[in-house]
Amino acid sequence: MTHSGVSRRDFIRVSVMAGGGLLVACGGGSSGSRPTTPPSNNNGTPPPTPAEEFILGEFMRIGTDNRITVLVGATEIGQGALTAIPMIVAEELDADWSLVSAEQSPVAANFNNPYFQNLLQFTVASSAIRGYFDAQRSVGAAIRQMLINAAAKQWGVNASSLRTEASYVIDDIGGRSASYGELSSAAANESVPSNPPLKDPASYRIIGTSTQRTDATAKTDGSFKYGMDVDIPGMLTALIARPPRFNGQALSVDDNAALAVPGVRSVHTLPGGVAVVADDFWAAQQGRKALQVSWNELLAGRTDSASQRNDYNLRLNLPGLPIRSDGSTLLAQLQASETLSADYYFPFMAHAAMEPLNVVVDYDGSSAEIWTGTQSATLDKIFAGVVLGLLPDQINFHIMPAGGGFGRRGNPLADFVRDACFVAKALQQPVKVIWTREDDMKGGYYRPAASVRVSASLNSADEITAWTHRVVTQDVTASLYVENALDALHDMELPPLAELTDFETGMPYKIDNVLMDAHLTVLPTMPSLWMRSVNKFSDVFAQETFIDELALRVRQNPYAFRRQLLSEKPRHRAVLDAVSQAANWGRSTAGVSQGIAVMGHWNSFIAQVVEVSVSANRELTVHRVVSAVDCGMAVNPDLVIAQVESAVIFALSSVLSGEILLEDGVVQQSNFDDYPVLRMHQTPIIETVIVNSGNSVGGVGEIGVPCVGPALANAIFAATGERIRELPLSRLNFIIA
Amino acid sequence: MLTIQVNGVSHTVDAPEDKPLLWVLRENLKLTGSKYGCGQALCGACTVHIDGQPTRACVMPVGAVGNKAVRTVEDIRNEHIGSLVQDAWRALNVPQCGYCQSGQIMAATALLKSNSAPSDQDIDRAMSGNICRCGTYPRIRKAIHKIASEQL
Repeated sequence: MTHSGVSRRDFIRVSVMAGGGLLVACGGGSSGSRPTTPPSNNNGTPPPTPAEEFILGEFMRIGTDNRITVLVGATEIGQGALTAIPMIVAEELDADWSLVSAEQSPVAANFNNPYFQNLLQFTVASSAIRGYFDAQRSVGAAIRQMLINAAAKQWGVNASSLRTEASYVIDDIGGRSASYGELSSAAANESVPSNPPLKDPASYRIIGTSTQRTDATAKTDGSFKYGMDVDIPGMLTALIARPPRFNGQALSVDDNAALAVPGVRSVHTLPGGVAVVADDFWAAQQGRKALQVSWNELLAGRTDSASQRNDYNLRLNLPGLPIRSDGSTLLAQLQASETLSADYYFPFMAHAAMEPLNVVVDYDGSSAEIWTGTQSATLDKIFAGVVLGLLPDQINFHIMPAGGGFGRRGNPLADFVRDACFVAKALQQPVKVIWTREDDMKGGYYRPAASVRVSASLNSADEITAWTHRVVTQDVTASLYVENALDALHDMELPPLAELTDFETGMPYKIDNVLMDAHLTVLPTMPSLWMRSVNKFSDVFAQETFIDELALRVRQNPYAFRRQLLSEKPRHRAVLDAVSQAANWGRSTAGVSQGIAVMGHWNSFIAQVVEVSVSANRELTVHRVVSAVDCGMAVNPDLVIAQVESAVIFALSSVLSGEILLEDGVVQQSNFDDYPVLRMHQTPIIETVIVNSGNSVGGVGEIGVPCVGPALANAIFAATGERIRELPLSRLNFIIA
Repeated sequence: MLTIQVNGVSHTVDAPEDKPLLWVLRENLKLTGSKYGCGQALCGACTVHIDGQPTRACVMPVGAVGNKAVRTVEDIRNEHIGSLVQDAWRALNVPQCGYCQSGQIMAATALLKSNSAPSDQDIDRAMSGNICRCGTYPRIRKAIHKIASEQL
């Protein structure tokens, strides 16, 4: 996708803070906005700025004490946004990293992610680092130049004779130096350079190092504050009784028993359920248990996993909307000596982040303050305004770092923020709406189920001449790219579907005739949403297990077969070679089988080898997962490795046992007993190699997920001769050791 | 009114006896380091020590705690092994989202207090009740081994 030019992000405003120091604002400006209170501070330092100084649009503070605070527009969901984004700024600023800390930014246009055309704060699509990278560098470089200019003026020397190092401007000739803190007030009066020179990556001192996470201390002593921990005076707690089937409505409510529970204050019927408001969580939970609601389910969802699967499988026989079309698959199929095909099925899956959803709203009838761990703050704030009848200026929205997101906290429909606002609107008192684990598990917005059919045609020389890939699923990625559509419509062009969705798998193999098509169903009564690695989880599974079948069909080693088909894809080939070497491909120990898979997306590339053994009674032990990842340049290599480790374990949870089943519209799973996720004793050895290609920065939050499943399935085939065509493996009577 | 001993301090709280200890800690005592994750003793995010034993506070009625000493993550630095665990967690960049880590740290501290040289199987047994959706398990294992081999 194209990124907007610098015009939207190169407007930097600077002013002197009341207590001295430099305050930098970057972006589109918003001087008319009302002041906000400082966001929660998670690094143990007191907020240094009085509320009236903390204007929207502030990007960074340089205190007279030399401390630098970078405000981060992307949400910290575990990926390290509060570490890596400040590293980028600090690099160009030549800051002393030990004095840099980070906070979540307010919700303001200045913090919108350039990846999303500067329209949204949206922490999805592995876009935080690659989205903000260039803009953060420019800001750091501009401020550095202003500090130099201020020193040059003070010392009466030419700015070009000065250099910077670790938060000091240094005059080697004059034998003097001044700290950024000392210079910050004067620097604020310097004009903002429009095109500050950026460093040569070869001279980076901070980018490319494995610094400790800025949030490591607060995340080990219990002091780190999540949305769940927000506590404001007079705050009540609400739980919402939701209908057993999606889109049900409360028909009648008997709240006598609920109101009789000590601590329960009130009961409110909302569009999506019935809220029980109490003094604390326990009373709210007891009250909700005592509540009697009969539900109107005339328009409610009746999705049934078994019949939905049949329906999807039938539709695999019909052509869908083309997403990619190279050459003529039809012609190639007619001329082929053989066409092979396989069908796959993937169920709904829940994100199950460790921190259940929660929102605090303080609404007084004319303004509101909202705190929540969200990946989609801009849209959440818009929906909150709609529900509460407030203008954006009347809402102070605090992005809280989240206890995991995986896409669930990035709902463009803002489901959890909307229903919390409905409670607050009825209550007009501060309230924390908490989802129990069961609410979170049953609350919908799952990874959508998918059926996939892949086919390949071979000629008489056993070369693949055609490849088709058809998917039936719900469309949840298209809205991600809606801004592209708007831009394109503005230019009176209608872009092809492939550019509006993120469905393309990037099937990398050298095959002349390729057709990928999709049935993107819309099911308003079966809420689904992206989940870490989106459709790549299912589509790459099909692609990478099927290519393995073809390798064996033509009697080739799965690694060598892929390598030969990647002759025009050097970055795929490089990670494939790297993982083959790191995993000692083809030379596993006795009783251990290997499988391999490769892909590229999010501007990154990965190849993974999984080693497994399967006992006679189908007990499955995953011994080792080796990954080679090329994310262009690793801003913080240890964070990249951590993201791959995280992705491997996340993928194994999904592949081994991830399954949400519905019976007549009712979700059957409720907690970690019937929706098991990977635990310590099931965790394999995980080894990760970074292939530094020196390319532009790619995303790493999701790239480690999709290949784990197919590499594991290919290893299971090597061990047992059994092809895996559906997930999870627990459904195929494997026992997860 | 109930009296409980938390982090070496006696607290009198106004809470029904069946209110889970987790919510007394979080709401009555404002000790929010212990987390709500599942409410069913399935995930371990709420793990605290009661008389040194790792306990799931989300299913422990506060009335059943009696005079036993409750210790939470906020105070674990005051135990030698607790502080070693926190230091190792930081050194190895263990936390990602961090939400489960209070429980992981309490479970790991209890393990190392009872076993100064845990095997991988010992770690599996002691730590498999604590779920981490970010997948920090390999680093947790490494951190426990590091403390055992270098400091105990």
